Amino acid sequence: MTDTSVVSVDRELSVARGFRSVPFANLVRFASGLILRLLVFASIVAICVVLPRLMPGNTLEIMLSTDLARGLTPAEVRDLQENMGLGGDLFGQVLDYTANLLNGDLGYSIPHAAPVGQLLIAAFPWTGLLILGAAPIFLIGGALAGIEAGRMPGQGVDRWSTPLITVMASLPPFVGAVLLLLVFGVLWPILPTSGAQPLFPATETLSHAFDIARHAVLPSLALALHELARFFFLARAETIHLAQRDFVVNARARGVSVWRIRWVYIGRSLVPAYLARLSDTMTGLISAVFFVEIVFSYPGTGYLIYSAILERDYDLLQGTIVFVAGFVLLVNWCVDGLATRLAERG
Amino acid sequence: MAADIPVEPGLRRVPRQGLVFCFLVAFCIVIWLTAQTGWLEHGSSRDVLVAPGMEHWLGTNEIGQDVLVGLILATPTTLALATVTAILAGALALSAASLVVLGGPLVAGVVLRTVDVLQVVPSMLLLLFVAALVNPGLIALVLLLTVTGWSDDVRIVVAVLRREVRRENILYARAMGAGWIYCWRWHLLAALRPLVGVVIVQNLRQAALKSAGLGFLGLTDPRLLTWGSMMQSAMDQLYTGAWIWLLLPPAFLLSLFLHWILKLSDPRVQSGLELEQRL
Repeated sequence: MTDTSVVSVDRELSVARGFRSVPFANLVRFASGLILRLLVFASIVAICVVLPRLMPGNTLEIMLSTDLARGLTPAEVRDLQENMGLGGDLFGQVLDYTANLLNGDLGYSIPHAAPVGQLLIAAFPWTGLLILGAAPIFLIGGALAGIEAGRMPGQGVDRWSTPLITVMASLPPFVGAVLLLLVFGVLWPILPTSGAQPLFPATETLSHAFDIARHAVLPSLALALHELARFFFLARAETIHLAQRDFVVNARARGVSVWRIRWVYIGRSLVPAYLARLSDTMTGLISAVFFVEIVFSYPGTGYLIYSAILERDYDLLQGTIVFVAGFVLLVNWCVDGLATRLAERG
Repeated sequence: MAADIPVEPGLRRVPRQGLVFCFLVAFCIVIWLTAQTGWLEHGSSRDVLVAPGMEHWLGTNEIGQDVLVGLILATPTTLALATVTAILAGALALSAASLVVLGGPLVAGVVLRTVDVLQVVPSMLLLLFVAALVNPGLIALVLLLTVTGWSDDVRIVVAVLRREVRRENILYARAMGAGWIYCWRWHLLAALRPLVGVVIVQNLRQAALKSAGLGFLGLTDPRLLTWGSMMQSAMDQLYTGAWIWLLLPPAFLLSLFLHWILKLSDPRVQSGLELEQRL
């Protein structure tokens, strides 16, 4: 079948499904994905705003029960209630929060004496640094090990790597993080165990960057070890399947080098499946980051959420969750679109 | 070519795993009964942070509670939490899938769109948020984990169910006047049983991971003793050396349980795949 006939068959299929063309069908899918995620985001916002207000007691009451807040006059309490968005009825509070959110205002954290948005801007890059530090390890490491194991299932590399990674996959993210902290921070203290930089950061840019990198090693490694298993098993399964495909068998018969088959023929074909898995595991990755940040007291968004929970700072908690949920949905939508596009190439 | 790939004899292992499961259930019931009769008590004592020895085999924690007794008492809670959640989530997924296939286009549309929505929600975020507000106990935790976990399996059950309803036995039964409830009870459920097993085993792992995570963060009811909550209380002792007996035993048991589920899912997945190949 020629290329032209393939296109015409594609077009006929699209018409049969009610679409005028393949790009139009893609556009519709892309747009419906966006609408779905917007709906989800609106639901999350509604849950985050309504649920705390339905619970007995509120942030203000919890705050007033502490010694710090004793001695406030009723007028001051009323002002505080208005400022915290707790004045009026539930519907009015939800409308106020939504209006503020649309203006980019995520609320105000009284324990931190700062707007939630400002705290997020300070914390989010640290979470990004951990994910970016871990991603090459679990993506490339998982692919390398998975391809090697999948080329000869049951033999060679597969005999020791698969059981090892199965054991690693059994460790919850916080257990892996605690074990790394114990080994490299307590028993053999060669790496920092908490924070993202020293208490007194170096003035030189290079030294400062080096310190930041040193502090990120253990958390990134903990995150990568947790995620590695998912991508290893995916790469292994795909390699077993791809190794039997005609284009790989043909390449082997033509004498194409083993390295080229590994990285060009099999490696490139893994990309769509990898992206699809990345889209599936985005929420898992974010929750793993939370645990890792909490264990290493790393000042990212996970640690911010944890401190908000400990301090009963519901404004910060709901603001951070709304922000992270929005970010996850956005990335998820982009990765989903990219994966679909690449998968169409076959 | 496919014949070159060695396939492990997975199905042969299922009875052994089943025996282990039965043993665990019996063990949990015995522990629960001993806890109810007051024979096993996790009370505090003056022996604070005592290292493992003859008197306290796994040492004591910072308020003098015996770690071994804590581990034993936490076992039924941890396992029951994961198992009940997995079964409930599996049952909900099966019911939703049945509604999609047998309930007509409108019901199918509503259920599938709900699944779409739930699948892209970052469930751990919602779990954290709700748990921070309510500090859930056993029942609330089961409900929370079930509500956020059932949607992942609906599509796979729908796919198999759609193939199954087109089989001759169903068409024949329908032609003879059998209703969908009869077909579901006597034909579809039997055919779906291996797949539902796979779904439940996968849910077991997710539920165990999430509940342990919430316990580790201290977001569950403080009276709910689980391996995750034991690890959380051990975190204060990381730099004192007591972590060896406070942190490692619950971490080891939790990882061992997850590893066992992972190994258990292998043969179940294989049997599920064999089922799909037969369809």
